[in-house]
Amino acid sequence: MARKAQENPALDMTPMIDVVFELIIFFVVTLTEAQRKDETIILEDGRHGEALTPENLPPTHMQIDISAKGRISMGDRTIDPAEVKRRVAEKYKKIGEFPVLIRADFQTAHRDVAKVMNACTEAGIWKISFMAVGEDKTNERATNKNENFNRWRKWRGK
Amino acid sequence: MAKKPQENPALDMTPMIDVVFELIIFFVVTIKQEDLFSRLNVNRPAPATSSSASDSSDDITVTIEIGRRYDNNPGGVIVYNKKALGGPIGSTADARRELDRNLKDIAKTSTKTPIIVKCAEDSPHKALVDVLDICYKNKLFSVSVFTL
Repeated sequence: MARKAQENPALDMTPMIDVVFELIIFFVVTLTEAQRKDETIILEDGRHGEALTPENLPPTHMQIDISAKGRISMGDRTIDPAEVKRRVAEKYKKIGEFPVLIRADFQTAHRDVAKVMNACTEAGIWKISFMAVGEDKTNERATNKNENFNRWRKWRGK
Repeated sequence: MAKKPQENPALDMTPMIDVVFELIIFFVVTIKQEDLFSRLNVNRPAPATSSSASDSSDDITVTIEIGRRYDNNPGGVIVYNKKALGGPIGSTADARRELDRNLKDIAKTSTKTPIIVKCAEDSPHKALVDVLDICYKNKLFSVSVFTL
């Protein structure tokens, strides 16, 4: 580090670069985390459900997304019920019982939800949780900004 | 930092404060608050078995059926103990209130009462979540979901 020239103090870049790297790592990690879901899904309100926090959801859980049109996905990768069964069975064999969390759109037909639930029961998981909105913080529906809201409003107003 | 004593030994904080402010602004602008989610747990009967498994117990069970969607009622029809809730055309808000009243009475007797929810294949998922939410509101947690 060039600390000799005190009269003309050169800016020490080290801490700034540290901070910038920290930032880059933070965003890379959070962005990849956030990408892993089906963005089209609008959840129904379920204010009385058990709050879903990282503390009460074991890291071993499995989340399965089902869109309004019945697209089943995990980590935003489309899969079919047979694949769900295979993955659940494989995990069940390895670690025993684990929570399955279904994140289904409010408009999803029960038929499609049942397909996933049946795949889970066939693989040995009987307890299934549905994800709902406990507390609407983003208030996305009220802002009327995105097409998701328009879909919700159209359906609601029918 | 142990620099040699100078005329002005105080550390120049300006760039650091600049960076910190930049950071604060960045986070305030970019971080969008996430919804808080909740979970509603249910039991699922084996796909092959009919409702015979539930009939084997002599306890009182409550059956809630969610019918298919029709145009006047996008939320699906809720049938509680063979009676459609919220009138024949049934606004879903009325049906939900009525179900809430009924389940409150059930919960007074015992919150361990098993609830069976039977969903029509083309009922919307929203209806199921609504019914589960009302069950949870009344502390009725042993819910099983069947598919009609």
